[in-house]
Amino acid sequence: MPSFAPGLWENLSHDIHYIWPHILLMVSGLLMLWPLDTWLLPWTKAEKHKWAIPTMAILVVSLVLSIYTPNGLGFSAMYKVDGLAKGFQVLCILASIFAVMLSQKVLGALVEHTAEYYALILFATSGMLFMCGAVDLVTIYFSIELMALCIYILVAYLRQQERGIEAGMKYFLLGAFSSGIMLFGISLLFAATGGITTNLTELNQKLAVVSQDKSLLVYSGVLMVLVGLCFKVAAVPFHMWSPDVYDGAPTPITAWLATAPKAASLAVFLRVFGTGFHSISYEWEAPLMLICGASMILGNVAAIKQQSLKRLLAYSSIAHVGYMLLGVLSRDAQAGAQAVWLYMLLYLFMNTGAFAVLIYLQGKNEGERIEDFAGMGKRHPVLAFSMLVFLLSLAGIPPFIGFFGKFYIFLLAVEQGFTTLVVIALLTSAVSAFYYLEVVKQMYFKEPAEGEVEPMDSYSKFLISTACALVLVGTAFGPQLLKWTDDIRWFEKEAPAVVMEFSNK
Amino acid sequence: MVSMNAVLLISFLLWSVGVAGVLIRRNALVILMCVELMLNAANLNFIAFARLSGTVHGQAFALLVMGFAAAEVAVGLALVVALYRKKGNIQVDEINLLKG
Repeated sequence: MPSFAPGLWENLSHDIHYIWPHILLMVSGLLMLWPLDTWLLPWTKAEKHKWAIPTMAILVVSLVLSIYTPNGLGFSAMYKVDGLAKGFQVLCILASIFAVMLSQKVLGALVEHTAEYYALILFATSGMLFMCGAVDLVTIYFSIELMALCIYILVAYLRQQERGIEAGMKYFLLGAFSSGIMLFGISLLFAATGGITTNLTELNQKLAVVSQDKSLLVYSGVLMVLVGLCFKVAAVPFHMWSPDVYDGAPTPITAWLATAPKAASLAVFLRVFGTGFHSISYEWEAPLMLICGASMILGNVAAIKQQSLKRLLAYSSIAHVGYMLLGVLSRDAQAGAQAVWLYMLLYLFMNTGAFAVLIYLQGKNEGERIEDFAGMGKRHPVLAFSMLVFLLSLAGIPPFIGFFGKFYIFLLAVEQGFTTLVVIALLTSAVSAFYYLEVVKQMYFKEPAEGEVEPMDSYSKFLISTACALVLVGTAFGPQLLKWTDDIRWFEKEAPAVVMEFSNK
Repeated sequence: MVSMNAVLLISFLLWSVGVAGVLIRRNALVILMCVELMLNAANLNFIAFARLSGTVHGQAFALLVMGFAAAEVAVGLALVVALYRKKGNIQVDEINLLKG
C-alpha cells in the first residue's frame, strides 16, 4: 500500500470490524443523498416520505450489527467496544428508529419530506455510536460534533416557519460556544500531561500525578470538559437552549432530542468521569453534585408553570437528566453505568410514548397546549389511557415502570453516600407528580371542547398501543431488571494497548 | 524555545477574547468568528505542547479541529442565510419568538 503512511492500511483493516454499524449508517446516508435521491429513485415531492422505509431497514440492520460486534479496543486505543458502548448504542439506535416512526406522513408532523431529513438522522446516529465507544478525548470531541452538526440542521428543518429557524440558530450558537469551551478544556488537559496523550486510560494515571503541581491547569481543564458535556445533556445551568429548541424543532425531532443525544452524552459522561477522571474525582465531584441538584430542582419547578406540553416535557427532561447524573456521580462506575442505562432505557419508552400522543394531536390540529387536552378521556379514550400510563411512569409513581428506574438509581446514590441529593431527588419527584397529574386532570376531569373527532388511523393506533403495552408489560418485570443486567460487564478490563508510534524526528 | 507558560497565557487570552466576543457582540456572523477564535486558541495549545513532547498526536488533533471548524461554518452560514431570508437581519437580540 502507499508508502506515505506506513501501517495505516494494516491498522484500518485490522480494526474495521469494530465499526461496521457506523460505516453502514454513513455509507447508506451518503448513497441516499447522491445517486439514489437524484438518479436512481427520483421520487416526486409527494413520494419522498417513502425514504422512511429504507432508513428504518438500515437502522434495524445496524442495531443487529452493533449487538454482535466483538468486544475489544482498536484504532490506536481510541475506540472501544464493551458493555457500556453496546448498551448505549442500542438505546441510540432504538431512539432513532422511534424518531423515524414518528416522522411518518400520516402523523403530519413534517410539512415536507426529503431524503436529507432521513440521511441526517443516519449521520447523527453514526456520530452517537462513535460517542458511545470513544475512549480518547479526540474521538469523543469529534463524534460529539458529528452528531451535533447534523442535529443543528434537523432542528431548523421547518425552514418555512420562523420558529424553526430561530430554534436552530439558538441551538447552533450555544452548541458552537460550548464546543469551543470543551475543546479548550481538552487542550488544557493535553498541556497538563506535557503534550503526551489524550487517551482516557493514560490520562487517568497521568492526571493523578500532575494534579499536585499543575492543579490549576487540571482543574480548569476538567471543569471546561464538564461544562461542554453538560451543555449536550442540558443540565442546569447550561440548559437555557433546551426549552426553546424543543419548542421550535419538528416534534419527532424533539422526541429524538430528548432521548438519543442524551443517551450518547451520558455514555460519554460515564466513560470520561468513570475512567478518565476517576483518579481525580475530588476535582469534579462538588461541581457535578451542584449541577445534579440544580437540574432536579430547576427542571421540576420550572415545568409547573408551562402552558405548552412540549415545553413541559423539555423541562421535565432537564430534571430526568439530573436524576441520571446521580448515577454518574457514583464512585462505583460499574453500578453507576448499570443504573443510568436502565433509567435511560425506561425513559426512552415513556418519553417517546408521551411525544407520540402529542404528535398525533398536533397532526390533527388539536393543539399542544395543556388546555387542549381537556376532555381527552371522552374524545380519544385509547390516547388518553396511554398518555396516563406514560405520564405516571415519567412521574415515577410506584406500580409503573418509571418507578423502578428511579428506585435503582436512588438506591445506588444512597449506598454511595449522596443522601442530601437523594432527599432533593425525592422531594422534586413529588413536585413532578404535580405537573404530570395536571395533564391527567385535564384529560379526565374537564369537559371536552366542542367539535368533530376524527377516528384514529390504524398506524397511530398500532404505534401508541404497542408503546403503552410495552410500558405496562415492563412493569411486571421491573423488579427483575437489575438482576438481568447484572451480567453485563460495562467496563472491560484494559489489555495493554498497542499504540501506533509516530515521532517527528 | 518559548516558555510553556507564555504559550498558555497567550492561548488563554485568545480564548478569552473569543468568549467575550460571543457574550458581547450581537451579530450572528461576528459570534461565529469569535467561536473560531476559541477553537484556534485550543489549537495553539495542541501544537505548542505537541512540539514540546516531540509527538504528532496534538498536531493531528489541531488539523482535525481545522477541518471541523470549516464544517461548522458551513452549517452556521446556512442557518444565518435562512434566518436573514426570514427576518431581514441577523441580530441575535431579535431572535425572541420562543420564550417562557
